[in-house]
Amino acid sequence: MPGIGPRTAQRLALHLLRQPEERVRSFADAMLAAKSQVGQCQKCFHLSADPICEICRNEGRDSEFLCVVADSRDLLALERTKEFKGLYHVLGGLISPMDGVGPEILNVSSLVKRVDADDVDEVILALTPSVEGDTTSLYLARLLKPFTKVSRIAYGLPVGGELEYADEVTLTRALEGRQTLG
Amino acid sequence: MTEKRLLITGPNGAGKTNLLEAIELLGSLRSHRCSRDSDLIHWNQERALLRALSCEDETLELELRRKGGRQAKRNEKVLSRQFDLIGPLRCVGFSSLDLELVRGQPALRRQWLDRVVQQLEPIYSDLISRYSRLLRQRSQLWRRWRNKPANERDAILDAFDLQMALVSTRIHRRRSRALRHLQPLVAHWQKMISNGKEKLELVYYPGSKLKGEEAEEPWRLDIQDQLLDQRLDEERLGSCRVGPHRDEVGLLLNGLEARRFASSGQQRTLILSLKLAELDLVEQMSGLPPILLLDDVLAELDAKRQLLLLEVAGEKHQCIVTATHLDAFQGEWMRESQLLETKSFSSKGSVG
Repeated sequence: MPGIGPRTAQRLALHLLRQPEERVRSFADAMLAAKSQVGQCQKCFHLSADPICEICRNEGRDSEFLCVVADSRDLLALERTKEFKGLYHVLGGLISPMDGVGPEILNVSSLVKRVDADDVDEVILALTPSVEGDTTSLYLARLLKPFTKVSRIAYGLPVGGELEYADEVTLTRALEGRQTLG
Repeated sequence: MTEKRLLITGPNGAGKTNLLEAIELLGSLRSHRCSRDSDLIHWNQERALLRALSCEDETLELELRRKGGRQAKRNEKVLSRQFDLIGPLRCVGFSSLDLELVRGQPALRRQWLDRVVQQLEPIYSDLISRYSRLLRQRSQLWRRWRNKPANERDAILDAFDLQMALVSTRIHRRRSRALRHLQPLVAHWQKMISNGKEKLELVYYPGSKLKGEEAEEPWRLDIQDQLLDQRLDEERLGSCRVGPHRDEVGLLLNGLEARRFASSGQQRTLILSLKLAELDLVEQMSGLPPILLLDDVLAELDAKRQLLLLEVAGEKHQCIVTATHLDAFQGEWMRESQLLETKSFSSKGSVG
């Protein structure tokens, strides 16, 4: 399992063995249920047990803002901030020729259709600043420009970090993304 | 090391180069022999550990693992960024591989220049790794998506062009700046070694057409156009025709291309000038004389050049020198030095 080394794996296994049988059974049932019931939201492709996910169903959210992320993990991270009130679109990956991932494998055409059909004021691209992330951002920006405003999240210094401890790459990015004051 | 120089002798395959490579790796986090950690670890072993103790009682440690990343420690404390290990152990290496610098393929000269730029600007390694990733993605696109509709492919190539134009501009600027830095140093040493008879010039031949003065924005837009212009050729040949991966550093000796016209003796002198200039530059930047690692090169230099190298480097710099025989050391090299004989690489004792 990702992120778990041999020692942690052993600890988890021994912990499970010490549990009462019904707890282990309900744990196993929960995993099976998750596997059989959780699919993708038909609108935004976030993980969901229903055809349309909770976020897309929520009428309190601003449908004018659409945030594009690479996968559901990124969406969950953004949701934890409780700041973004718009809707999401999960691409399912990033464009990478060497991994054989092109736009046709990702949820790109559905994104264009969505932006075209719904009244979206702004698409916010929230992809990692790697070569693949930037390629995908630039590709999508050009594709979506005829329909709506496209922006991209800022990259730079982590909040709470000391300037002098930031590494050179981050600092350079932060300088590039500087903003005018006043 | 208790003396200025450590002379390491031993037969071929005894592990002399291995030791120097370990020092280089600990000092710069890179080996000039190979780029993958798994090639640096002993066969059948899961990990390798490098440890150095400085005279200020500082310990530097780098652990390489077959699985998972590296771990760097300074004074027993785990560093969150291995980059922080760089600093206390600056070194400049000179090995028989460098003898190819003049005659060999352009990639060797680019690597040498990159090592120098790296010392001047730490951000540079990020630019280089970003650029090589872009190149790889781009060539894979041609290989795998040849049969895709042209407009779909072009849309992704446009996205690559935008990024490559920016990164290329930055690499070109830094490389040309570093060469300007090196020029007076190189010229000085060549003049000195040749008794004022030879003039050495470094010329930058960029792999993109760069017009006018050094300026980021016009260069970037220009390179973007050039990338677009070459796309038909690229489709035919499968490789990108514009960019810093096609840079060349020209070495002109009295105005003539050294790789074609210089004698082999002159070529050696020239490499020595390049290395001494590198040594100067690293010292200027870090404020401390770097350690000089000479791997089996003394035998390649005649008595006069050995003496000069000793005069220049022997006083200020700590030197670690390898040779197969003691006879390789001319004149004063043996003075103020420690001797280490390697027999085979099973020796368990600490070195020094």
